[in-house]
Amino acid sequence: MDFRDGAHNLYHIIVAIGYLGLQLLWYFMQIIVSVWYHISIVGKLRYLAVVIESEEAHQTSKVIKLLQWLDSVGVKNVCLYDMNGVLKKSKDTIFQIMKNAKSIEEVNEDVTHHAPDHMTLEFVSYVDGKEAVAKAANLIFVENFKRHDIGGELDHQILLESHLNQALQIVGCKGPEPDLLLVYGPVRSHLGFPPWRIRYTEIVHMGSLNFMRYGSLIKAIYNFTKVRHNYGT
Amino acid sequence: MFSLRLPIPLEKTLITSLPKTSTTYSAYSGMTRFQVCHRYLSNSITKRGTSVVAFQDEVDGEIFVDAFQDEADGEIFVDEDFLEVDPLPVELQPELMPKHVAVIMDGNGRWAKMKGLPTSAGHVAGTQSFKWIVKLCYSWGIKVLTVFAFSMDNWIRPKVETEFLLNLFERSILSQVEECKRKGIQISVIGDTSKLPKSLKSMIANAEETTKENPKFQLILAVSYSGKYDVVQACKSVAKKVQDGLLHLEEINENIIEKELETNCTEFPYPDLLIRTSGELRVSNFLLWQLAYTEFFFNKKLWPDFGKDEFVEALSSFQNRQRRYGGRH
Repeated sequence: MDFRDGAHNLYHIIVAIGYLGLQLLWYFMQIIVSVWYHISIVGKLRYLAVVIESEEAHQTSKVIKLLQWLDSVGVKNVCLYDMNGVLKKSKDTIFQIMKNAKSIEEVNEDVTHHAPDHMTLEFVSYVDGKEAVAKAANLIFVENFKRHDIGGELDHQILLESHLNQALQIVGCKGPEPDLLLVYGPVRSHLGFPPWRIRYTEIVHMGSLNFMRYGSLIKAIYNFTKVRHNYGT
Repeated sequence: MFSLRLPIPLEKTLITSLPKTSTTYSAYSGMTRFQVCHRYLSNSITKRGTSVVAFQDEVDGEIFVDAFQDEADGEIFVDEDFLEVDPLPVELQPELMPKHVAVIMDGNGRWAKMKGLPTSAGHVAGTQSFKWIVKLCYSWGIKVLTVFAFSMDNWIRPKVETEFLLNLFERSILSQVEECKRKGIQISVIGDTSKLPKSLKSMIANAEETTKENPKFQLILAVSYSGKYDVVQACKSVAKKVQDGLLHLEEINENIIEKELETNCTEFPYPDLLIRTSGELRVSNFLLWQLAYTEFFFNKKLWPDFGKDEFVEALSSFQNRQRRYGGRH
């Protein structure tokens, strides 16, 4: 009986050690994969946009978890969008938890070239899209008419793409064009994300925020790094 | 719909020397049935078992490819046949069809490269897919189809290619204007036409004028188009209205700008569904303003390989999705 008890105990010890070993191996592999993805991503994904369906955007804890995942793989510049501005209302809560994150308004330099010691977060909603373009256009018109009133030329053809770009910066739309846009929600649409900023943005539908997976996120980002952009050629 | 009337040298076509068959088909007056080629050495520009019937003009030797024969049942498709109504597949529900479908026809060049053909062959093959999708949209009750035929960004391509594309476009439309008028297909063209050849500009104006009455279906061709250009020209139009006293500065908002976009040529300016082929996942400066609530369907097939099955898959996927418009429209 003693022999049997001893063998039984030895068996359990071996199983426990084996299990511990497998866990350590699993964590080690995760670290290796994360570091490898991190190296692949850095420099290629300069600005990421995340579109969340407004009903799902109320789940602040999930949004924070998503941001933490992004931070862990080296994605430092993120634009968060939902149509109704729910994420804007959660801004304070998010910054309380994401202590190494700064708002894009606080970053003076080019947001895609800042030191990687912190995240930059931009919060955007529908009013920053089409309405902002209308405001920017209005600004240009007002300036143009002012010039006309004080003897300058009135030229409705003066409006070029570059003028709109500058005017959008003045009305507060400072964020660059995202390289990649992830859509969380039931609909495969960008739900009104600022149209001026998505000319060549890769758009990937991730499904509902309720079922977000770290692996799916990594895969989407990694696939982006493999894309070759032609830009019309 | 758009016949392959291309005065291209024989060596640059896909036609190889094969014996003539006894396929009965009435040739065009003044033309000799040149040959029927069955999948020319696997570099076919057709798909799913069709052959090309080519004709050679007896006077100037110009080659025309105007018909396709299904190898399974022998049915011949010619330009006049394309607008025969195709029945709606059982898996699609007529009441859930999108009103406006937009397509980015991507992958012609890659398709040609894969088959060891010149890029021009890819564009020619792409016109057949285009022909299919126009026919299917017309048949299945879709009201508007917008296709991204030529981007403003494409001007940086080699001049030979851009000239070929615009020439292909011009000849295709020119040959089908009367047919479109007869069938109630309205042709509209959006984009910055200032860079286009004069002949093409003139042809576009004629096509739009000829087909504008009593349309059942609208085909919008985006040529030399850019989404940002569309917004800028809309803002310029608004500025002109302010200058002319038709608008006050305080009245300017997004709705005012929307009314001046080039897609205002249609009753349904916002696409319900956007299809992009070749596996790319971006909109590439196409209809930027108009795509806010558009469902995206990205397909990996290259455009010349995109056919009825793929289109049904896109429509089926659209019909199965939940669309909310975010509470705003």
